[in-house]
Amino acid sequence: MFRKKIRNGGFVLVEFAIALPLLILVMYGLAIVSMKIFLLGKEQLADYVLEAEAQYVMERITHLTRASKEIVAYNKHNKIKIVYHAVDDWKEGDGYFFETLKDAENKKYYLFGDRDVLETQFIFPYPKEGRNYSNLYATRRDDTGAPSNPITGENFFGETKLNSLQFSELNKNVLRIELEMESLMTGHKIKIATAVFMPSCESFEIKNE
Amino acid sequence: MKKILKSERGFLILNVIFLTLITSFAAMILLNAAPRIRNSQSSLRLIALHLANEQFAQLESKAAAGELTAGSYDFLGNNADLENVVKFTVKTTVTGTGNLRGIKVKVSWSDKDFIEVERTVLFVPKENS
Repeated sequence: MFRKKIRNGGFVLVEFAIALPLLILVMYGLAIVSMKIFLLGKEQLADYVLEAEAQYVMERITHLTRASKEIVAYNKHNKIKIVYHAVDDWKEGDGYFFETLKDAENKKYYLFGDRDVLETQFIFPYPKEGRNYSNLYATRRDDTGAPSNPITGENFFGETKLNSLQFSELNKNVLRIELEMESLMTGHKIKIATAVFMPSCESFEIKNE
Repeated sequence: MKKILKSERGFLILNVIFLTLITSFAAMILLNAAPRIRNSQSSLRLIALHLANEQFAQLESKAAAGELTAGSYDFLGNNADLENVVKFTVKTTVTGTGNLRGIKVKVSWSDKDFIEVERTVLFVPKENS
């Protein structure tokens, strides 16, 4: 009678002694693997954002420098000053713009003085949190002010940092730009070098101070 | 033993089914992970495109000075830029006569990975004094 009882419960005993711990181990392994996959996807997204930001910053700098008249680059501070000038622009006849710029003999009224400074742009890394400087790289934030990712809406993907922005002169009116950016999410870095030809640049200065 | 096998047949079959399901789930997750291994091709392409722009800028400067003749050119930019994450090679051919020059730049970082970009620039002839 006693022996028979054990035989009946034999399968259940084996099931709970071997299969259940095995099952728990397998599920534990699966959980670890899926967690790693999730983190890998996160890393990939951060890399994607880093690339997009670096491209955006570089495109913006080359776009701005292309038509400039004056360039002053400060390599120590990762900073560049870009100045645009007005061209010689005038209208004939009775003027109503600026009496001071009137050329009465030739009946010309200048819209701008020749080579007036139209605009000055500075490009430099975002210096301090909470300060109201124009920012090179977009810190993407949602309505509540928390950093957010434009792709998935999750937090902390898009935070990047500008490590260095260096300038040098390659040829006459050819400015070489070297940019290094870092993802604050993963710590991955990307370094891009390019050059831009500035056809109408007149004053070109690079300071290593 | 025989008696157990006979009486608990249902449990045994259920066990086999569940273990098969779990194994297939594991295989599915691992197969899904395989193509997600870090692939840096897109950032290499970005670096290559900017290297091509560097070459374009140099050749455009030459064309504006009236020094750009048809033929093939080496990389004219900073040679240190070619060694980034991997080593890049830049090959250029310039074609055309008259006021326009066609520039074709090929930046490659392995045998099969490369980008090829073209641009037409204005050639300003040198003023003869």
